[in-house]
Amino acid sequence: MNIIETAGLGKNYGRTWALRDCTFAMPEGYLAALVGPNGAGKTTLLHLLVGLTAAAAGTATVLGGLPAGSRAALDGIAFVAQDAPVYTNLTAANMIRIARNLNRSFDPPYARARLDELDIPLDRKAAKLSGGQRAQLALTLALARRPRLLILDEPLAALDPLARHDFMGTVLAAVGEDGVSVLMSSHVLAELQRVADFLVLLTKGQVHVADTVEDLVSTHRVLTSPAGSADRVSRKLDVVQDQRGEAQAHLLVKAHGPQHPVPPGWEAHPAGMEELVLAYLRNAGKTGPAAAPSKPTASTGAAR
Amino acid sequence: MGTDKRISGSPVVFRLDHDSGVPTYLQLVHQVEHALRLGYLKPGDQLPKVRDVVTALTIHPNTVLKAYKDLEAKGLAAGRPGQGTFITGTLEPVTLPELAGLRRELLSWLKAADEAGLDEAGVAALLANVTRDYYGGHASRPGNENAGNEGVA
Amino acid sequence: MTALTLATKQNDAARPPRPLPWRRMVLVTWLQHRGVLSGVATLFGALAIYLGIMGLIIHHAWTADMGCHPASSLTCQDLAQSFQTRWHGGATIAFPLQLLPALIGAFAGAPILAREMETGTFRYAWTQGFGRTRWVIAKLALVGGPLVVIAGAFGILAYWYFGPLVAQGPLIPLDPRTFDLECLALPGWVLAAFAVGAFAGMLIRRVVPAMATTMAVVGGLGLAVGLYLRQHYLPPLIIPGANGPVPSAWTLGSWYTGRGGQVVSGYIVNAACPGPGPGNSTPGAPPQCMPQHGYIQWWSYQPASRYWSFQGIEAGGLLLLAILLVVATIWLVHRRAA
Repeated sequence: MNIIETAGLGKNYGRTWALRDCTFAMPEGYLAALVGPNGAGKTTLLHLLVGLTAAAAGTATVLGGLPAGSRAALDGIAFVAQDAPVYTNLTAANMIRIARNLNRSFDPPYARARLDELDIPLDRKAAKLSGGQRAQLALTLALARRPRLLILDEPLAALDPLARHDFMGTVLAAVGEDGVSVLMSSHVLAELQRVADFLVLLTKGQVHVADTVEDLVSTHRVLTSPAGSADRVSRKLDVVQDQRGEAQAHLLVKAHGPQHPVPPGWEAHPAGMEELVLAYLRNAGKTGPAAAPSKPTASTGAAR
Repeated sequence: MGTDKRISGSPVVFRLDHDSGVPTYLQLVHQVEHALRLGYLKPGDQLPKVRDVVTALTIHPNTVLKAYKDLEAKGLAAGRPGQGTFITGTLEPVTLPELAGLRRELLSWLKAADEAGLDEAGVAALLANVTRDYYGGHASRPGNENAGNEGVA
Repeated sequence: MTALTLATKQNDAARPPRPLPWRRMVLVTWLQHRGVLSGVATLFGALAIYLGIMGLIIHHAWTADMGCHPASSLTCQDLAQSFQTRWHGGATIAFPLQLLPALIGAFAGAPILAREMETGTFRYAWTQGFGRTRWVIAKLALVGGPLVVIAGAFGILAYWYFGPLVAQGPLIPLDPRTFDLECLALPGWVLAAFAVGAFAGMLIRRVVPAMATTMAVVGGLGLAVGLYLRQHYLPPLIIPGANGPVPSAWTLGSWYTGRGGQVVSGYIVNAACPGPGPGNSTPGAPPQCMPQHGYIQWWSYQPASRYWSFQGIEAGGLLLLAILLVVATIWLVHRRAA
């Protein structure tokens, strides 16, 4: 079942299209990283998925077919916006009370237990908590809703390294224990590289990659060849990135099919995640968006 | 700030070396095997809870599960539903004097290799090659996480 | 997945979940806005205590003065007429009270939505299960409602307080200084100011500018109504004569007409038929002067008997304004892209 599915999704602000022709599907059970440079449209996409913004074109459905922003969708998705907004003049205990009243399902003992583990006092006003503590508070309030999908907008951007570590630890523990699917955006790939098993790349408002990490790594290779024969061979392959020296060329190619044909005299290496992501981001303008990059109902994550 | 006083409840605690090029799950497997050899772990001991490993190392829970499954396949551990994963097997213990002896032999081999003109990278490549042949392809396989960090195939 | 589970899932998707009950917003609104609500209640409470004590004193003096026997004696007449000189200070409280609606609109109405927009917490509130439209309706009702009730009670107290000063002077029933503090008008003003504040807050999305705008708009509206609009709620009555309407009426203006009915300037009339000099030093023109020239003085006024009609008209108009603004605010919330 696809936890997120978009078709031709687009959003404009005046004459500028922040998101355009966005089509991808994310199966349930993954921890997805939404990566792209600042201004790529990540926040716009996330806001469309949680109903904070209405689409100007196309559709977005969540939780297996519910329209994004509908009442049923809001029930099953928990969202933490950029800068983790909380009511700063209220205590964590009061925020828990508010959350319990605003939601159909909310687990106050879970929330209090989590905050206790994190040493966040329940009776201190949120304004007096540190940035990391406020982010953890917002995350706890989101997780206590027992959502099927957790969406986080650049949650680590304003946090110091220790706070980032603790925050990700909480997210990962929830993935392990509650089976929640996660979509989190970042403009720094490195922090998500180790933990994400699904990747969505967004540049200039368009989706260039949306696939499981496993599939991405297995379908991409770097072919090293003499520079002379690079042009001839690259015409036959789907080249994502072409790096030339005077005598040598590295082509990052995508295979369409189980075979990985390696021309004679060439070497093939597996492509690293960071290398892959940078290649797509760098060459996004040239290659254009991937056409329907992900199978609509991909196999579940159980086979990992 | 002082020591992190959280005790994991297991005799061992994992650490991670991001720059080593070894896949994460494999590092966990090796640490368990190493601990078994040195006697830190005995049959019946509990391995760290998935939740604790995940919060301490910020890795995906599936990575830990994969490592534990690997250990299960090797007959070294078994999961008890609702309780955790426990050591069930043993490895030939390598005593500390044995370890010291192996270390000495390795050092003299390295000296010989150095005199023959093999540099550090050459030693590493030779070692990777021979270990792969000896253990039959366990260590590096394309499609594993961090596969790209392994460098030249 | 069994067929049974599949069927259940399809049913769930087909039937949207029922909305959460409105009463859940009571605690939410209280926790978020208890400061404002208790602040306003305290302010009104303090003012009510003042009005209560001063009102009792004035009422006591008034009944004492009016109980003077015999009513027609010079001392008693003197007492009745000097009442307003002795107690005119009691009316000065009206000036600070005039500020109440603007202050309430700015401090209670504007921040409700402006703070959520400014701090970004609306991105939290609107993604919870309650839904943004019902959320804003509940908030506005649960904060605005108590404010209107408090203002209504206070308006009745103010009406009682100003009673002796209206009956004996220096005030009149339709007095612009006190009319909008009483009975139906005050809760109307508080409601309208609150609605202006809420709308400004949602439009401007920054707390301090919204508060300033609200005060300016409500203040401006108050001046416009008091100085220009209220006079025209019902067509003014017009009478001729030298003395004008009774003291309790709200005199709006007077003018002269001459032979043939056209308006004549007061200077010309005074030149032809001067009034007595200062301190009666020179006698004025005889009373036949005006009719001989064909001059007539006219007065326009609103009688005191229209007090309740005007209260109703003013409160009704403010209610309509408030409804329009609240609907506009809800529409803005419904439509706002984040």
